[in-house]
Amino acid sequence: MLETLPRRVVVALLALSVFFPIGLVLYQSILSGPFFMPAARLSLESFVFIFDDPDFWMAARNTIAVAVGMSLIAIPLGAILAFIMVRTDLPGRKWLETPIMIPIFVSPVVLGFGYVVSLGPVGFFSVWFESLFGGVPWNIYSLASIIVIAGLTHVPHVYLYSSSALRNLGSDVEEAARLSGASPFRVARDVSIPMVSPALLYVGVLVFFLGFEIFGLPLILGDPEGHLVLTTYLYKLTNKLGTPSYHLMAAVATCIIAVTFPLVLLQRALLKNAQRFVSMKGKSARQRPLALGPWKWVAFAVILAWLFITVVVPVSGIALRSVVSSWGQGVNLLEVLTLDHFHAVFEEATMIRAIVNSILIGTLGGALAVGGYLAIGLATHRKNDGLSRFVDYIVLTPRAVPGLMAGLAVFWVFLFVPFLAPLRSTLFSVWFAYAVVWLAYGMRLIQSALMQVGPELEEAGRLVGASRPRVSLDITVPLIRNGLLGAWLLIFMIFEREYSTGVYLLSPGTEVIGAQIVSLWASGAVDVVAALSLINMALVGIGLAVALRFGVKLHD
Amino acid sequence: MTDKTILTVDNLALSYGSNPILKGVSMQLRRGEVVSLLGPSGSGKTTLLRAVAGLEQPHHGSVSIAGRAIYDAAAGIDIPAEKRELGLVFQSYALWPHKTVFDNVAYPLKLRKVADNEIVQRVHAALKNLGLDHLAERYPHQLSGGQQQRVSIARALVYNPPVILLDEPLSNLDAKMREEARAWLRNLIVEMQLSALVVTHDQSEAMAMSDRILLLNGGVIEQQGTPTEMYGQPQTYFVADFMGSNNIMAGRIGDIRGGTARIDLENGLSLWGLRRTNAAIGQEAKAVIRVEQTLLAEGPGEHRTEIDLATSMFLGDRFEYVFHAGADLLRAWGKGHEAAGKRWLEFPPDAVWVF
Repeated sequence: MLETLPRRVVVALLALSVFFPIGLVLYQSILSGPFFMPAARLSLESFVFIFDDPDFWMAARNTIAVAVGMSLIAIPLGAILAFIMVRTDLPGRKWLETPIMIPIFVSPVVLGFGYVVSLGPVGFFSVWFESLFGGVPWNIYSLASIIVIAGLTHVPHVYLYSSSALRNLGSDVEEAARLSGASPFRVARDVSIPMVSPALLYVGVLVFFLGFEIFGLPLILGDPEGHLVLTTYLYKLTNKLGTPSYHLMAAVATCIIAVTFPLVLLQRALLKNAQRFVSMKGKSARQRPLALGPWKWVAFAVILAWLFITVVVPVSGIALRSVVSSWGQGVNLLEVLTLDHFHAVFEEATMIRAIVNSILIGTLGGALAVGGYLAIGLATHRKNDGLSRFVDYIVLTPRAVPGLMAGLAVFWVFLFVPFLAPLRSTLFSVWFAYAVVWLAYGMRLIQSALMQVGPELEEAGRLVGASRPRVSLDITVPLIRNGLLGAWLLIFMIFEREYSTGVYLLSPGTEVIGAQIVSLWASGAVDVVAALSLINMALVGIGLAVALRFGVKLHD
Repeated sequence: MTDKTILTVDNLALSYGSNPILKGVSMQLRRGEVVSLLGPSGSGKTTLLRAVAGLEQPHHGSVSIAGRAIYDAAAGIDIPAEKRELGLVFQSYALWPHKTVFDNVAYPLKLRKVADNEIVQRVHAALKNLGLDHLAERYPHQLSGGQQQRVSIARALVYNPPVILLDEPLSNLDAKMREEARAWLRNLIVEMQLSALVVTHDQSEAMAMSDRILLLNGGVIEQQGTPTEMYGQPQTYFVADFMGSNNIMAGRIGDIRGGTARIDLENGLSLWGLRRTNAAIGQEAKAVIRVEQTLLAEGPGEHRTEIDLATSMFLGDRFEYVFHAGADLLRAWGKGHEAAGKRWLEFPPDAVWVF
């Protein structure tokens, strides 16, 4: 709770940080050339150009195929996974909770690379499979593969929301159905699933929406056979005309936002609806797990198989690739083992900078971002006025802009706002882009921490004579310090994982591992990419270990 | 307003959106007096307390403490909660879990920039006063409910606010402790000569604790007075119903003689009682009599009726008898067990109210 003036300053800075870059993208999309060129004038020709480009329509079709396909895979699997984990006596449920979340924290570009080195034409698993069975039935570079992998790696998102909905569902409503004569499966069909359907609907829209955003997987897996999606199409446009084709990129970005923004608004409406449903819950004190009988081993095997495909295969592939000099049919593993790739990484100043910068942006940058989110959170805390509702919508807006485009927009801002230009080649520009892209996520963490503080604790502070800022400082913030630590660790992992936002901001001095991998991948430096990917996963893993050590909940 | 008045609320109105919660409430609290705000949930009693504290935003009326306006809609005065210098004991106690007992109580003094050694001395004095001195270094979660309540009171009193506000102070204690705490709290308030405004939904708590009771209903004051007035001379049906355990029967006015009226009840009985309604003969009315005034009689007599005893219930300190009268269940209290059957019941006319 801040007094009026600081509160307005916070909100004004926030609005500027969000709307200026996005406004720049929208403005750029209706110019005939890059906005810094004097010849640029208002025109729709950039839209005419991309709508004439058959590649754009191919990318749009593929994007819809990916979004629909991955939803169809992720939603049923995630919902079933949640039901098995929350409602049944599956062996090792406690132990499985963390591994299930891993795909969320692995950078998709790293994941894509992992699939290439594991399941690609000369991947480890392909080679082994071929030597055993004489051939491989899959083609990792097909559109279908992209869809399946995207679907499987988004199962945790669905799991997250449906499991918390299922947990909130009191067992009394199920017991009432049992006593009325329903079998356990009738209970699931007639009571449990309908009661969590608002959450499923919400997460369905979320996954569909994420389908429009994915970039790393199609970038790496779609390239060899030329399968473009809208984000990779945008990326390829960068140099399509020889000169910077900013107006075309902005037009594509505008098309994507035109789809994602309504989806974000829809999600918001659905979430409110889902919460209303949950608030009708009964007492969730004790839930009796459903006995699966012999089926529990089938369920267990299915979950392990899924974990094997989404985590073990790509991660082990990267780990292995980072310590072998070459790989292919008939190569003896022991003869090609080497640490040369790591030496190469640690001998090059760019790589070391990328690693140091990544750590800096996760630790220091993460802390700064949490501080900023906290300032916004406090500015709207327990103030249900116009300004707070305005902040609600500002926070939502960057959610609709995929990281690649947000990074581009921030790049433009730092390129052409005179007094910001010197900051462009510093880590600040990357941090700023990251902080804006993850605004909605960070605010959710902060707000759920703030909601834990009983209003009467703050009112008691006011009554004994503390002003609003004093109450924030002396009561609210100390009370949520654990929540802040948790938010910091989660933001650390998210910032380490991030790759697309830094792509356009990549310049000497602003290297971060994720963007570096994207850039190196284009140059074919597989060895270094493998080493960097492993280092990236190690950083996320450290964050995850610390988070688990402190008992941070990986979701709310 | 006399110079003894410490808190004045004048015609205070408050709405949540288009939903009016307080519809013009006026009241006064005199120095050294305990006033209870009593009412069912939704009556606006807690909202009134919170509006006085500055935690809710009224839109009309005024509030002043010791002659100083802290809220005045017409004059545009609205002193923020932290500048009102009031003490509030929250229903949940609202102790800050990250501060020790000492730090909880010391915080108001720290905000007032009291010197450190004086803080130590005043906090210890306050804690000692409430029998908490040995708990100073504990954290709130290490205390029992009763101890937490005392810390909460110490925190609200340590800076000597002119008025202390208590929001359902006993509701978080279990039933047995509640009666002891009630006596302790009343004693504390009287001994320290505090001026207190107490919110409660329990009429016996209100009667026991306070010098005066304000009964709120739907955002207006239904009646105010001393506990004996409120209990013995209810002016409206709502007050009569709320303040005690009653037998309530519906019927029509049969006869009127000055301040008394005869009511012919739907259950077939006919009772004389004190007239508290303007209803004319033949119009609908209700008869209310306290359960303890409904007397089991030995035999026939004036104002007595023969009636069916259905069952007796043992309540520990007394028996409760349940009678059938038409569709009504009537209750009376007595000392011994009574077998079911016909009994004579007396309804003294000066104990029956006709609303």
